[in-house]
Amino acid sequence: MTSRPEPSFGSGNLRGIGMSHYLPMPIVEIGDGSAPLPTTRGRFAAPAHVVDADGRLETGMLASLTDSIGGMTSGLSCLPDWIVTTNLSLRRAPDALAGPRGTGDLQIDTRVMRRGRSSVVTRSTVSDGDGHEVATSWLSCAVLTPAGGPPPFTRPVTMNHHEVDDDPLYRLAPERFFALEAGERPGELLLHPAVHLRNPWGILHGGSVAHLLDTAARCVVADRTEPGPTPGIIVSDLVIHYMNPGREGPVVASASILGQRGHDILVRVTAHDRGADDRLMNVAAMTVRVR
Amino acid sequence: MESEQFENGDVRGWLPHSPIFAGPDGGPRIGAIGMLVDALGGMRSITAAAPDWAFTADMSLHLLPTGPIERLRADIRVLRRGRRTLVLDAELSTDDGRPAGLALLTFAVVPRPDHLVDIVIDTSPGRRELSRLEDGQIPPTAYHEELDLREVSPGVVTVGLRPEVGNTVGALHGGVHMALIDEAAVSLGRTLIGPTATTTDVHLGFLELAMTGPIRAEAVPVGDPDPGCGRLTAVVQVLDGDGRVCSHATVEVTAS
Repeated sequence: MTSRPEPSFGSGNLRGIGMSHYLPMPIVEIGDGSAPLPTTRGRFAAPAHVVDADGRLETGMLASLTDSIGGMTSGLSCLPDWIVTTNLSLRRAPDALAGPRGTGDLQIDTRVMRRGRSSVVTRSTVSDGDGHEVATSWLSCAVLTPAGGPPPFTRPVTMNHHEVDDDPLYRLAPERFFALEAGERPGELLLHPAVHLRNPWGILHGGSVAHLLDTAARCVVADRTEPGPTPGIIVSDLVIHYMNPGREGPVVASASILGQRGHDILVRVTAHDRGADDRLMNVAAMTVRVR
Repeated sequence: MESEQFENGDVRGWLPHSPIFAGPDGGPRIGAIGMLVDALGGMRSITAAAPDWAFTADMSLHLLPTGPIERLRADIRVLRRGRRTLVLDAELSTDDGRPAGLALLTFAVVPRPDHLVDIVIDTSPGRRELSRLEDGQIPPTAYHEELDLREVSPGVVTVGLRPEVGNTVGALHGGVHMALIDEAAVSLGRTLIGPTATTTDVHLGFLELAMTGPIRAEAVPVGDPDPGCGRLTAVVQVLDGDGRVCSHATVEVTAS
């Protein structure tokens, strides 16, 4: 069994986790930090090695960004408790699936819609550099008392990732950074949960899972076993349920096609933690658009 | 609607198709399917959450085109029963075995509410009717008319809160939420992408009990619609009479 270390939040330029160095997004809290239902804004400067030939971020990685900012914003509403993601939903606008719209740098505005006793729901609006809304996302989180306490924050929060980590790890293509491996058939992929893919509590980051599931969905539609870019094939919407944490690995994603509506293919994807008695981690429904 | 409960607690249900809730392609609208899935999910949650209770926290519905059918079938099973949440999925199929879509539901597990402590619900294995017309009861008109959903303007639809659309605590029923969201989305879609606009995909999160009417759904597009592909993405929010956001949904609307 993998040991479960105390959470490590780092400091300075190393603050946070591997995902936040790979997909750097400075986040600021709007207002003076006293609002019971916080609002935040993230600005994502798209690095060339994570976007496609058009400059568009893959939907799983876009979901990773809304998971990061939505999770943090949810957590701020719960301090001194913290949160864990239970459900992540994202839709891209129809005019942002191809062509120039929705490419390049992105801005994500997030606010808490509901803070209950045991759960929090946030909404994120994603805009491109021209101010067009290109995606919408909502996130449900469960409130918990984390081991080692919540991440340390000074309110209002200002998280600056402009000082980019120069470790070549964070310049790798997505399939290498996420340590993906082909499975036994198209749509089956393995992810090895390296340290940089985990969160401060040592479990697989929700964004790592989102990328894995997105890639599996695109691969089953493309009928390919090797992870990598799938030109002309993009996930237009997804909903991911996080049921159990990924701890041991390898994590095995398995995608299956349920049917088709025109250019849209409905795909169901699951992820299991093979090293943890093949425990079911996630189930997702995704629409894959084929241009 | 009919249901069958199995020894392991899993539930299968059927929605006999009817023109009163048919969409432009002849198949059932997502609003009616949402009612089936919500009802069956609720049934499955009773045994899965026992001795506690469970409320629907979110529901996503993803439909495939079926065309005209006799009945829609839903098979509900438990994916995870945690301490505070329950996750179910529903496989949707036609009477001739074709896939018709998928639903995923999360329930919040809570201590059984006081007013439900003594309630006894038959969860024994077997097949039973979920709803039927009483002797002499007038057959319903179009489903959305029966619910009395009223279009105020493109994308804005209201419903009065009355017992027929309420749940066990008098709030707007989860299945009616789905119908209201469907109607608001289609209303916006008819304006932006054409008269055959149909809601094909919904991610719905329940935020608050809608306890005061009239209840209003407002649909707003995300980005620009794509009339060439007959495609619209929208956010739909349901607000109660006090202006509180009671549910938040994102939807996909298509037109042939």
